Amino acid sequence: MVAAQDGHGGAYRRLLAEMSEWLTRYFQRRLPPGEVDDAVQETLLAIHRRRHTYDPQYPLGPWLAAIAKNKWVDQLRSLARRSMDELPDEIAVGDHESAVISSSVLASLLEGLRPAQAQAILLVKVQGYSVEEASSQIGLSSSAVKMNIHRGLARLTAIIEKTTDVE
Amino acid sequence: MSNESLIAELSSGLAPVQRRNMLREGVLVIALSAVELALFLALGMMRPDMHHMGGSPFLIWRVGSLGFLAVTACVLAIRSYSPTARPRRGVILACALAIAAIAAGGLVAPEGVSGRTLLERIAPASGMLCAASIFVLSLPIMALLGALMRRAAPTQPRLSALASGIAAGTCGAFVFAFCCPFNDPLYIVVWYTVGCATVAAAARWRLPRRFRL
Repeated sequence: MVAAQDGHGGAYRRLLAEMSEWLTRYFQRRLPPGEVDDAVQETLLAIHRRRHTYDPQYPLGPWLAAIAKNKWVDQLRSLARRSMDELPDEIAVGDHESAVISSSVLASLLEGLRPAQAQAILLVKVQGYSVEEASSQIGLSSSAVKMNIHRGLARLTAIIEKTTDVE
Repeated sequence: MSNESLIAELSSGLAPVQRRNMLREGVLVIALSAVELALFLALGMMRPDMHHMGGSPFLIWRVGSLGFLAVTACVLAIRSYSPTARPRRGVILACALAIAAIAAGGLVAPEGVSGRTLLERIAPASGMLCAASIFVLSLPIMALLGALMRRAAPTQPRLSALASGIAAGTCGAFVFAFCCPFNDPLYIVVWYTVGCATVAAAARWRLPRRFRL
């Protein structure tokens, strides 16, 4: 901090990076997740604006903690001021859980195939391209694409049959 | 903006800063009070019998306690501008010292008060004028303390502002003590307290405004 007060940019950058990590941990225990980044940046700005108030005779920790505590209280006040509107029922959307799980399972299954087979299945069977469009994208003939799809699906079936729990 | 880009922005082109120095700030406040007192006396505001009252216990109590309170309150106010300071303790200490000074006033024999009623001793018309004078005299000190507070990093700005108000009020009262023609401790206690309390309330109301750490 003393070097930073003397205008040493490199030392200041390292110091702010270390402070940023400490502040992130500090605010993660005290604020909702959405407010942590704001609080960290507000505190870094306050430290920057008031860096001349640090007295090198005293340890840096209490100085930093006092500013962080002040910013924490500020953030809590601003949270209290913010209106908490209830979400209307119309804004509700369908459950994405099954789609997300399917996508994740498919991605892990495709990893068990050769890349050409996986790409052909992804383009034709998942994304809905025709065999001709897929062949022009991949750079293989239509018959090679069809062959990759056929062999890939057979391989996928074998993998699924071997797996005890595929959800 | 991510934390990394903010850090890069803050650390690029970093200029050296002059460290805050509490001693320098204290000297500045005392110097301003001294200049104000010198101007006040130069304008012929000193009470005419001041030289004859040199060893009077009443004068020693009035000027001595106000001077001591002013210096202590200024030190406590300046200390409260540090982020790690606890201004509540300073405000409590300043109030305790003020009460001790008032109590000491009870030991000072009042001059020429025999046979006067309480209302005559308090003299509200003159008292309000005294309180208003203290308020006006404390304004430059309050402005200076406000500027010092704004430049520093108090984490409890309202309490720091209150401490600044007490300090500015006692400085104003100290300067006015050289002019005030009343020799009754009761009068001094009542109206000087009103003057200082008004300054403290004004500072508490005004100084924290637009202050942001």
